[in-house]
Amino acid sequence: MKCKHSRIRKLLTLALSASASMASAQQAHFSDGSARSMTMPADRRVLPESELPPLPEVPTGFFDSGLSETANQSSYTLDYLLQLAAANNPTIRQARRQISGETAKALQAGLYPNPILMYVGEKINSDGSAGEFQGFEIQQRFVTANKLQLSRLKYRQRAQVAEHLAIAQQYRVSNDIQKHFYQTLAASERLDMRRELLKTAEDTSVTARELYNQGQTTLPGIRRANIDLQQHRLDLLNAENEFAEAFRKLTAVIGCDISLGYIDGNLRPQRALPTFDAVYAELIDNSPEVLAARAKLAADHTAVRRESVQWVPDIVVQGGPGYNFSNYDPVYNASVRLELPIYDRNQGTILQARNDLARQREEIRRIELLLRERLAMAYRTYATSLQHATEYEGVIIPERQRAYEELLQSYKENRVDWPEILDAQTALFTARLQQIDQFRDVRIQETLIDGFLLEGGLMAAESSTPPGHIDSVPKPR
Amino acid sequence: MTPDEDRRQFLKLGSLVAAGGLLAGKSAAQQPPSAAGPPVPMAGSHAGHESAPQPQIPADSDVKAEYDGFSRFKPSRGNDPDSEFYLGKRVPGFRSVEAGPAPFEAPDLTKLPWKMVNGAKEFHLVPMAVEREFLPGYKMNVYGYNDTMPGPTIEVNQGDRVRIIVTNELPESTTVHWHGFELPVQYDGSETLTQNPIEPGKSFVYEFDIHEEGTFFYHAHVPMQEAFGSVGWFIVHPRKVFDPPVDRDFGLIFQNFFIEPNQTIADSWRMDWNWHTINGRSGPYTTPLVVKHGERVRVRLMNFAPMQHHPIHLHGHTFWVTGHEGARAPKTAWIPRNNVLVGIAQATDFEFVANNPGDWMFHCHMVHHMMNHMTRQVGPRIRKNVSVDQYLANTATRPPVDASRDDPGFATPGYPQEMKSMNMSDSMMETIWNRREVQGMRAMWPMSIMGLMTALRVLPEDLYHKVMETDEPVDKGSVFEEIVRRFGNPDDYEPGKMKMMPGMKM
Repeated sequence: MKCKHSRIRKLLTLALSASASMASAQQAHFSDGSARSMTMPADRRVLPESELPPLPEVPTGFFDSGLSETANQSSYTLDYLLQLAAANNPTIRQARRQISGETAKALQAGLYPNPILMYVGEKINSDGSAGEFQGFEIQQRFVTANKLQLSRLKYRQRAQVAEHLAIAQQYRVSNDIQKHFYQTLAASERLDMRRELLKTAEDTSVTARELYNQGQTTLPGIRRANIDLQQHRLDLLNAENEFAEAFRKLTAVIGCDISLGYIDGNLRPQRALPTFDAVYAELIDNSPEVLAARAKLAADHTAVRRESVQWVPDIVVQGGPGYNFSNYDPVYNASVRLELPIYDRNQGTILQARNDLARQREEIRRIELLLRERLAMAYRTYATSLQHATEYEGVIIPERQRAYEELLQSYKENRVDWPEILDAQTALFTARLQQIDQFRDVRIQETLIDGFLLEGGLMAAESSTPPGHIDSVPKPR
Repeated sequence: MTPDEDRRQFLKLGSLVAAGGLLAGKSAAQQPPSAAGPPVPMAGSHAGHESAPQPQIPADSDVKAEYDGFSRFKPSRGNDPDSEFYLGKRVPGFRSVEAGPAPFEAPDLTKLPWKMVNGAKEFHLVPMAVEREFLPGYKMNVYGYNDTMPGPTIEVNQGDRVRIIVTNELPESTTVHWHGFELPVQYDGSETLTQNPIEPGKSFVYEFDIHEEGTFFYHAHVPMQEAFGSVGWFIVHPRKVFDPPVDRDFGLIFQNFFIEPNQTIADSWRMDWNWHTINGRSGPYTTPLVVKHGERVRVRLMNFAPMQHHPIHLHGHTFWVTGHEGARAPKTAWIPRNNVLVGIAQATDFEFVANNPGDWMFHCHMVHHMMNHMTRQVGPRIRKNVSVDQYLANTATRPPVDASRDDPGFATPGYPQEMKSMNMSDSMMETIWNRREVQGMRAMWPMSIMGLMTALRVLPEDLYHKVMETDEPVDKGSVFEEIVRRFGNPDDYEPGKMKMMPGMKM
């Protein structure tokens, strides 16, 4: 799609630094309470800290050691990753091999039959002689009805099909790179937001202890805050793991190992797509899948033509010099053969070829409808995500932000409780988290729709010949 | 110029000598007073008292400074609990009975004008939605009458015939109930039971004879309108002036509302109440009751809270409960109190002789009624070196939290468990201070008068004149310090801090 490359160029100009630091929020300021210094003598304390349920330990079980690789702090742009993929993704090379394979078939199919050189001994022992004919003959088949040219044409046309499929494969890889790029970028931003939410959960935990000291919550209240805190810590670990997964998927599609690092990009969409009908019209005009199917239709036309002339008999001429041991004189043999198409006029194969042709017409239609079906889903997801993202951007986040600020101001003026601020803060950061997901979904769908709905950058490159095709005959024709 | 303004202007011009520059400054307070008049003996004299002007009986009054051991000029009980003058029970004010009832004064409220039409005092009362500034800058949307909440005071004399034309400007129907009056039933204002509701834009005429005397009020007989503030005084002065005569007759309507922070409309469905008003204002915006030393004072206090009773406490004085809204009680039924529970829709009349100079709290004793928008003390405001400004500076992220509870106070259960009132801006403080009634009070006094609270100021004649009858500047704390100097022990007195907001971390 023509807008794709310009969009990528735009992407390159944008730089949104996404923090990929794996430092957990609690490491900076939130202690477990064991290192406090009370100025009041211990024996005067009437509410020892030990009576409170302890703060839960920071999760210490399994930890993905690969996450420490971000210490390298490498930074990757989309353009750089696309270049890497172009050079390293195996399916792109596979697709190129498919073209070469079809071209080789075309070469082979058009080759003229070789002459056959024979030694012939006939009627050996006739009258006790060595034979009536002992000699060399040469046989040459003369192909008629442009069979070889048609065969070569057919495979050249299939090579064109393979070219379209290779372009499709490039889109699959490119789309997957972009998709994983935005997923990784979103995961990075989610990680930042999870750190903010963890800080709020930490504050909730501290606030619960303050409330407990004032008789305004109970021990179960502190325990609930502990649970909430631990769940947010797990959410942060989950966000870290999601980031690692997204990044590793990205590197898998690229086809080479790169260390975990920052993703340099902008998650926010820069434009809106045209209408569904406009997108669909462009899709059926330019989709590599449709173009490949149409090219395949041309090849199938040629196949029909090719099979239609198959019945035209080739002329096989055979002859050569020999010696007649009965008569003791040099003699010559000569024959011309012609297959009489009385019973086998290749009618079955012609019929099969015509059916293949008809099937291909339906295949084009099927692909168009499949694209419509996939586009419907993608467009719906895109529209929903964009609608949500737009409203979150224009209304929900600003409103949450204003509500948070108003409550902060009210708290400053001693008019609301701190737990209310924490709720507003959680709501704001959660909304931002949701907005990240919406932007991510918009970007992914935008990428797919721009990239002809092609995905699967690690699926084997498609062949131009569907299974069970007429090409099951041994000699390509 | 209104009669009040005339009087004020006259007093300004005629009292310069009496004022004598007494309050020009702290140093001036040490100078001998120039006020003239017979000195009144003071008990428990301290050094410096001799130089102060002594309380005196006005020349045009024939009352005494002391009745049976009770002094109108110093805290005292009297000699005998059975005496008519015990605790000042029947000690008259300076005003004579012949002068008629003392003018009724409801601080911060207006009076409803009337004119005689066909032998009746005709009033026009308009129920309507109004805006009322509970505190400076806190304008609340409530219901009231004639642009005010509570509504304007209807003031009549026993024996009058009244005609009240009620024109409903509310968007909903209403009626008006004349609380406590024994009137013809069709004017009782009970919706549907006695009359059809007054639809929006429509009028209804109530007309009846007043044979009662005492403290009454009117209110909408629609519960949610009551919770929204639809109430007003209806004072009936007796044909025979109550004896002993009072010099001051104040009216205070106590109300409660639930109004969320960042909201101006009351939620009348709530069972709890977080805004408290006296005559439509909340402390410290309530206007103090300023009286002269030795005057007999009546306070009519009416509780129009939707759901809660109010234990009313007056500092520094013992008052007589002389009646409720039903009728003035016979003197044999009067009881002395420091604190009296005033139930919902009850009015209680207090009478006392203001014999103890100073600024005295007069408030509902319910702890939660002593502030508005009560908040729990958790979060940054109790954490060291944490300010809400940090949060406001960048809302994209938030500051980390320090989990260490290293304030020694945390070793004490319940710490810190205090009530924080709303933060008072400089402009709010300026509005609160910009009233004559509060001049000379201790610096930062507004931090102590919150919610359902006001002050009774008992001022010596010269100080009263200075504060209430002149426009002269009065330094913060100067009046209070002068009272301490005259009546207390100045050696033990520490002036209020001039600029000290509580050390809130917000």
